[in-house]
Amino acid sequence: MEEVRIGVYVCWCGTNIAKMVDVEDVTRKIGALPGVVISKNYKYMCSDPGQELIANDIREHKLNRVVVAACSPRIHELTFRKALEKAGLNAYLFEMANIREQDSWVHDNREEATRKALDLVAAAISRVRHHEPLDKRSVSINSATVVIGGGIAGMSAALEIANAGKQVYLIEKSDKLGGLVNHFDLTYPYLYDAGSMLELLIRRTTCHPNVKVYLNTVIREVHGFIGNFETTLHAGTRKAEKLEFGNIIVATGLKPFDASRVHQYGYGRLPDVITSVEFENMLHTGEVLTKAGKIPQNIAIIHCVGSRNPGFHEYCSRTCCMVALKFANQLRSLLPDANIYDLYADMRAFGKGCEELYTTTSRKKITFMMFDQQEELPQIIKSVVPDDPPMLIFFREKISGIGVEVPADMVILMVGVEAHPDVKEIAHAVGISICGNSFFIEKHPKLDPVATTTGGVYIVGACQGPKGISDAVCQAKAAAARVLGTINQSSVHVEVTTAVVNESLCCGCQTCNLVCPYTAIRFDKDKKVSYVNEVLCKGCGTCGSTCPTGAIRSKHFTDQQILSQIDGLLTMALKQE
Amino acid sequence: MEFKPTIVAFLCNWCSYTGADLAGTSRVKYKPNVRIIRVMCSGRVDPTFIFKSFREGADGVLICGCHPGDCHYQEGNYKCLRRYKLMKKYIEQMGIESDRLKLEWISASEGKQFAELIDSMTARILELGPSKIKQVVDTLAV
Repeated sequence: MEEVRIGVYVCWCGTNIAKMVDVEDVTRKIGALPGVVISKNYKYMCSDPGQELIANDIREHKLNRVVVAACSPRIHELTFRKALEKAGLNAYLFEMANIREQDSWVHDNREEATRKALDLVAAAISRVRHHEPLDKRSVSINSATVVIGGGIAGMSAALEIANAGKQVYLIEKSDKLGGLVNHFDLTYPYLYDAGSMLELLIRRTTCHPNVKVYLNTVIREVHGFIGNFETTLHAGTRKAEKLEFGNIIVATGLKPFDASRVHQYGYGRLPDVITSVEFENMLHTGEVLTKAGKIPQNIAIIHCVGSRNPGFHEYCSRTCCMVALKFANQLRSLLPDANIYDLYADMRAFGKGCEELYTTTSRKKITFMMFDQQEELPQIIKSVVPDDPPMLIFFREKISGIGVEVPADMVILMVGVEAHPDVKEIAHAVGISICGNSFFIEKHPKLDPVATTTGGVYIVGACQGPKGISDAVCQAKAAAARVLGTINQSSVHVEVTTAVVNESLCCGCQTCNLVCPYTAIRFDKDKKVSYVNEVLCKGCGTCGSTCPTGAIRSKHFTDQQILSQIDGLLTMALKQE
Repeated sequence: MEFKPTIVAFLCNWCSYTGADLAGTSRVKYKPNVRIIRVMCSGRVDPTFIFKSFREGADGVLICGCHPGDCHYQEGNYKCLRRYKLMKKYIEQMGIESDRLKLEWISASEGKQFAELIDSMTARILELGPSKIKQVVDTLAV
């Protein structure tokens, strides 16, 4: 075996790491470990000069292993692997020690954090000695794309890809395209007509020669990997259809919060307490009337229903404040003399044209009042006085601290949004994760906001988090660009960290065949050994931990590599005592 | 000398490692005694890894995987669970208190829960005191 020559690089990450970890101390102590030829620290290892530093050292000092102690490998492993490749070293002869997310950011004792960093770097050094070069594997990309969800985001993504001349299969669960926007009358902040906008988009989508729309259809399972997915569509009694495609865009949207969960508001009990979605429909008909068919004289709008309250959802649903202002405007036009009350928790009017909408609305004789969303929600009760408006809203006005009574003929509840109940099924089908609020998790909130940790799967629109139409369409087009980029390359590199069987050690017990979730391991009856289909293997390593003879190796996560990591971790710790 | 326990933790790449990263990005503080090793799936955690950790002086071993039903590899976490239950019994027979080995489900969004888990496990290991198994094996090996 050639001599192992390791270069170790400790990143300051500005002050992010350097403030809590003594990077000089780590660099010095680590430099003394066997096999370490050079150890350095630098302000930002991920920067161009940082990567250059590594590349130069690889050439100059004939390094054949590299360890970077910096942030999470989930962020920059790929960056450094590329730097190695540029310097002519195989990308897998690299290991990262996570001393930021799992050290400097979570501890407040510098001595302990430094000690931990030392252990983690020592473990990485110990592990990297046993790394071996792995050959890249590339797969061809099927140029068709599946878009799940036919709302405004899904259609926008589908059209963008279809316009570039690529096939799109648009899968919609319900019996029509358009999703939640179907229920909207006008859109904020410019009060454009949602219906005509949507109609145009639906027409373009359904007429496009490259888009095949499947209504009343769901996807239960997706097999394969980036570039080579396949699924069977289920559509009621129709014969199941098989699709093959290279990328997936998930655009499943969200659903309005169930207002009856907030008991104080009496939704479902009081006939003229309605949700914002119901009110949109009412506006669409052009007639705003109470259940009794009367024109309301006192109308109250209540914000944050189901949002920003630990009892329901802690997050802000992001669009309701502006929709409420839109309602106030529309109401004022329809009913010039009515009393309009806007009961808000905080007026959130960020973004282009929104604060302006608030300003213009506030000049239209709308009574804005603030309540405390965290402490005390308003109470709506039935009025007992015969000629009074049928409802009374009691609450403490937050700024003045005074108890207020608001009469109302109609109350509009600005319901928040929440994830669909079937997100888990979708997440499972396409292999992505959901956050605590049941929205899909993006690969990186800032640097890669529409990708997911699963290659070839993208998330757009409100299924990723509450957002308005503009943002949803932006994401849709961003994802479409990502998909088209992949298709344009015609092939992509995929992880090569699959399992491999050493035939001379395999005893033919077939335990691995049983535990493999992807039926990637088959048994060769002639040779009486198991073998791995690398295309199907996703590298979970479950077979490796089951094999009684150690015949199966999980590449890049071999027993030897992990055992050495444990060794490095604990022996360094002991030496310090 | 003050006892500073060392806990070796095996975290699956998709849920738990991401959850631990989230604790970092959210700046949630926890005890510095844990040393994390990333595996692709909790199903990859070979019993050897656990024995090796105890053998080399770990005072506790933690395995974290995706919640049931959420495994990135469909069911690796169930396989881990089965193995874990056997191992709990096994380490006890070897003279290692079974509380020194722990399996918990941590999702990618549970940074806070991860921090709490590390604190509570560290507290439990402190109660148990240093693991004696390394010393015993070293003595026997001579």
